[in-house]
Amino acid sequence: MSLERQRILWVVLFCLMILTAIIVPFTPLMRDLTKFYGAFLFWSIFGLVVIVCLGFITAKWRDDDER
Amino acid sequence: MSANTIYLALFLYFIIGSIVARRAGKKLGGGVNEFFLASRSLGGIVAALTYSATTYSAFMLVGLAGLTYIGGVGAFGFELIYLSGLILVAFFGPRFWLVGKRYNYLTPTEMLGDRYQSKAVAAISAVAAVIFLIPYSAVQLIGIGALLEGISGGAIPYMVGVGIAAFIAVYWTWSGGLKAVAWTDSLQAAVMLTVAITSIIFIAYRGFGGFGGMFTQLEAQYPTWLTVPGPGFFNVKAFIGLTLPWFFFSISNPQVSQRLFMPRSLGQMRIMVMGFLVFGFIYTIVSVLWGFSARLLLPDLALADSATPALLGLSIVPASIALLVMLGISAAAISTVNSIVLTLSSMVCRDVFKNVSTGANEDRELLVGKIFVPLFTLLIVFFATQRLGLIASLSVASSAGLLVMVPALIGSFFWKRGTAAAVLASIIIGGLVATILQFSGLRPLGLWPGVWSGLVAVVLFIVVSLFTKAPEQKAAEFLGYLKEELSGRKVI
Repeated sequence: MSLERQRILWVVLFCLMILTAIIVPFTPLMRDLTKFYGAFLFWSIFGLVVIVCLGFITAKWRDDDER
Repeated sequence: MSANTIYLALFLYFIIGSIVARRAGKKLGGGVNEFFLASRSLGGIVAALTYSATTYSAFMLVGLAGLTYIGGVGAFGFELIYLSGLILVAFFGPRFWLVGKRYNYLTPTEMLGDRYQSKAVAAISAVAAVIFLIPYSAVQLIGIGALLEGISGGAIPYMVGVGIAAFIAVYWTWSGGLKAVAWTDSLQAAVMLTVAITSIIFIAYRGFGGFGGMFTQLEAQYPTWLTVPGPGFFNVKAFIGLTLPWFFFSISNPQVSQRLFMPRSLGQMRIMVMGFLVFGFIYTIVSVLWGFSARLLLPDLALADSATPALLGLSIVPASIALLVMLGISAAAISTVNSIVLTLSSMVCRDVFKNVSTGANEDRELLVGKIFVPLFTLLIVFFATQRLGLIASLSVASSAGLLVMVPALIGSFFWKRGTAAAVLASIIIGGLVATILQFSGLRPLGLWPGVWSGLVAVVLFIVVSLFTKAPEQKAAEFLGYLKEELSGRKVI
């Protein structure tokens, strides 16, 4: 896959992730979930998923002598 | 807590930090690049720690804990979306780093000026950064002054606390420029994280019998604090109004984006980004758990920001831990202030002095930069003495105000049609919109200042660019170089 295409796919994926992180906790289902496994767990998982995705993207960042 | 104990702890902290700063200073070579960027030679771990210590200020254990206290879990979502703003570094980090090396940029605003071929762009964006970041820094000192005054029961006067913090910040910065700041930041980041984790374990186990107990009590006594909008503070508009400007923090705030020039390779930048993410994730959870603990243990506080100082006064927190937390919060504030002061000084010498002075050479440029380190610190102290609502407003406006730089930054890497006139219009008018809305308290259509300033800046940047002439040759060369380098490295 070309770099351009990869970039677009990551941008789309990240936009969807951010929108999900903003919208889902305000939906009726989660708005009434007054438990630890409600918004707190949801946002924790969101944070971890972002970290993993950035781990994938930055895997190609190398020291110059490794190239 | 007795004033003497606090003074002794601060003195020991200052001595240890000064030893680190002096050692860094001994390794300092000559020149502007060495003083302000450590000659682009930072290793990944030091880069991660200075990035973390610079980004996370006293806001976390005081302000975010307070936001959680009044608004519940929404504060956690806001802060994690802010952390996810590092997504931007995935795209902009390698680009900043590559052009920084290629064109020898010292500051992000110098990069804007060169890319858009306009000295005015560099100077105006540097001035905008000064306007918004000085009050933001003053609030850090105000925080330390109030904290020391509070936990010493008034025995340490407010101005003494402010003065101590300012002196430590300026002394360490002077000792060895960015190298000293990065090394002391590393020390301070380690203190911040260790203290935060230790203290929350004490509070959770001594206050609630563990983290499970804390959440069980929350679910029983304050169930809405586990939802949004929850108690009411975090309605959708407030949530977006807070998160939008802060999401762009990693590129809009020059003291942070300048750090994208500093790692010695992209591999080290990767360590910086991943290290910061892990640091930020843990620090965010701890700060929010502090807020929840205060909600359960101290339900009747009049001011949200007093949640942390009040929590430190409870018997379940041993005096030694309370003392360490005080140091951790001071470290968070000092490490943010000295990084901002150094970045603003580099902007003055490169983007203002060099552009207006006819006889500027590197030695004089460095001298001007060094002179501005204590001058900016004095200005910040002066602002902190005022304790005005004005400073708090400007500080809050900082994220909305600096957001107006984002269209120009995105445009410089991804849109060859962007023009200098458009950058000036978006920064000046967008910055004014942010400031006016913040001071007046107006919320047109219920939207927060950051949303409006961002929208105004985007529209102005695009529209004005379409009607003015772009620096085509520079854009082609700049973007062509990046395209070639990025494809060679297979970086998106």
